[in-house]
Amino acid sequence: MIPLHASIHRKMLVVMLATAAFALLLTAAAMLYYDLRSFRQLWVTDLTAQADIIGFAATPAIEFEDRQAAADYLESLKGKPSIIAAAIYSANGSRFAAYTATGGKAVEFPALPALDGYSVKGNELDLFKRIVSGQEILGTVYIKAQFDMFGRLLKYLGIVGAVMALSLLASLLIARRMQQKVTQPILEIAGVARTVMDKRDFSSRASKTTEDEIGVLVDAFNGMLAEIEHVIDERKRTQSALEDSESRLLELNAELEQRVEARTAQLAAANKDLEGFSYSVSHDLRAPIRAIGGFAVLLGEDHQTELGEEAKRKISIIRSEAARMGQLIDDLLAFSRLGRKALEPSDLDMAEMANNVYVRLDHADPSRTVDFRPGSMPHAWGDRALFEQVWMNLLSNAIKFSAKKKQPVIEIGGISAENEHVYFVRDNGAGFDSRYQAKLFGVFQRLHREEEFPGTGVGLALVHRIVTRHGGRVWADGKPDEGATFHFSLPKEASDGGV
Amino acid sequence: MEEFDQVEILLVEDNPLDAELTMRGLQNQKLANKITWVKDGEEALDYVFRRGAYADRAEPGPRLILLDLKMPRVGGIEVTRAIKGDERTKRIPIVIMTSSKEESDIIDSYNLGANSYIVKPLDFESLAEVARQAGFYWLAINRAPN
Repeated sequence: MIPLHASIHRKMLVVMLATAAFALLLTAAAMLYYDLRSFRQLWVTDLTAQADIIGFAATPAIEFEDRQAAADYLESLKGKPSIIAAAIYSANGSRFAAYTATGGKAVEFPALPALDGYSVKGNELDLFKRIVSGQEILGTVYIKAQFDMFGRLLKYLGIVGAVMALSLLASLLIARRMQQKVTQPILEIAGVARTVMDKRDFSSRASKTTEDEIGVLVDAFNGMLAEIEHVIDERKRTQSALEDSESRLLELNAELEQRVEARTAQLAAANKDLEGFSYSVSHDLRAPIRAIGGFAVLLGEDHQTELGEEAKRKISIIRSEAARMGQLIDDLLAFSRLGRKALEPSDLDMAEMANNVYVRLDHADPSRTVDFRPGSMPHAWGDRALFEQVWMNLLSNAIKFSAKKKQPVIEIGGISAENEHVYFVRDNGAGFDSRYQAKLFGVFQRLHREEEFPGTGVGLALVHRIVTRHGGRVWADGKPDEGATFHFSLPKEASDGGV
Repeated sequence: MEEFDQVEILLVEDNPLDAELTMRGLQNQKLANKITWVKDGEEALDYVFRRGAYADRAEPGPRLILLDLKMPRVGGIEVTRAIKGDERTKRIPIVIMTSSKEESDIIDSYNLGANSYIVKPLDFESLAEVARQAGFYWLAINRAPN
């Protein structure tokens, strides 16, 4: 069998040669058959003629009973080596003369002649031929011949073999030539296919050299390559477009970041300017305020005798208002300093801190009896000084606004939510109208009149600023005369804080 | 020269109202017999080193200098550097009295040898009290070399 991996070239060669050899063999067999058949026929005819001739020649010998003459005629068969025996029978069936080839084996002659005809036994042929003269049968000639079929066959096979070898050689040469026409385009396609697969080069094409099925195959193959090339090109284009837009996106992103950075820097600069301004303004305001308050004092002291009660009252107003303005400026300064101070965060025990601050505040006014209810609180991550300020402001507010209650209650505590810690300070004091909630945490925003509850309106703004700088939120709820709760939250993760 | 006439406190203050209030506070406390007020750093140095308009001033120099920082021309820092850098004057106590709470001002002042740093309170009573305490400490409690 042809191995599967053999090239199409070899396969075709084998197929063609096998076909040729098969055809040749078939032809040779048919010819051999026909030849052997006609050879035998010819031989039989030849022997029959020989018998006729012997019969004709021997007729006088039979008629004159001359056995010696008949035997002589038979003896002339010596020249035919294939005849191994012969006999002449008389009309009554008795053997008249006989001949046996020299060196041949002993021949058993048939006792009586048979009718005209021949019979074949193995490679021996028995032939009977009547000798007829006029209408009278004079006798019969018998010939036994050896049929040399094997020699003939051998000779014949020799010829056939030689012819076949020559024909196969010729057909090999022809097939070689011819099959190239068929296999060359196929091999070419295969070569192109291999190049395409090895180099991933879909731009190569097989050249079309025939218009037959292989031509169709070449067209189809090239069409497929073109399609693949197109698809790949398309994909490459899409990819490069994608990459383009991606890089454009990155650019835009970088640009955006730059812009954000620039804006942040501008904002920080503006903020700094503003803080610098408020700092220097409040700083420079201190001297005139000190002067106003101070000279009001001097006026009172130096002109005591000249001043009436009303004048003294007005002087005291000037003094207290100057003091209040000074307080405002101090608060404003503290507020502005806060914006510039860098955060120094650490772990804060909020419960302990709030309690300490409360104790400090409470000691400032021993006459008060507040029901203080401290609750547990989660630790926080923040600037210690700033959160002391937060608790200070929230708790002093709670104390201040609950001071007019019969039994002031101040409650503090904290819980841990999902992403943040939430702390609160609750009092049962004056509360506030929730409509003004938005104003609570603004600088200098106040919801109560100065005579009711003194203050500058900076405390909660400070709380708001500190908490937001730590990444947290502040909010409050309350009702007039029922109390207020101030909440602030801090993120659980350490936050660097912003401006 | 009578000891009575000695200038005990030199007040260096560019703001006349602040100066008046400070002097008034000190006088009220009957701390110093004599206070001299100069309006800026240059005048202060002229006074201390007996130059210019003060070339003929009587000896000896002040026993305490109350010094403002933010002044036109020559500021308090320069005055401190000049006085503390001079062998003749470096033992005179200098108390900085200023509105500035800037950390850098405080550090500079101490580094140059200032003896105290006081942030001026806003109201007159506190100012007077602070001035009184400073004067009392440096003139009455503290023992200066002869």
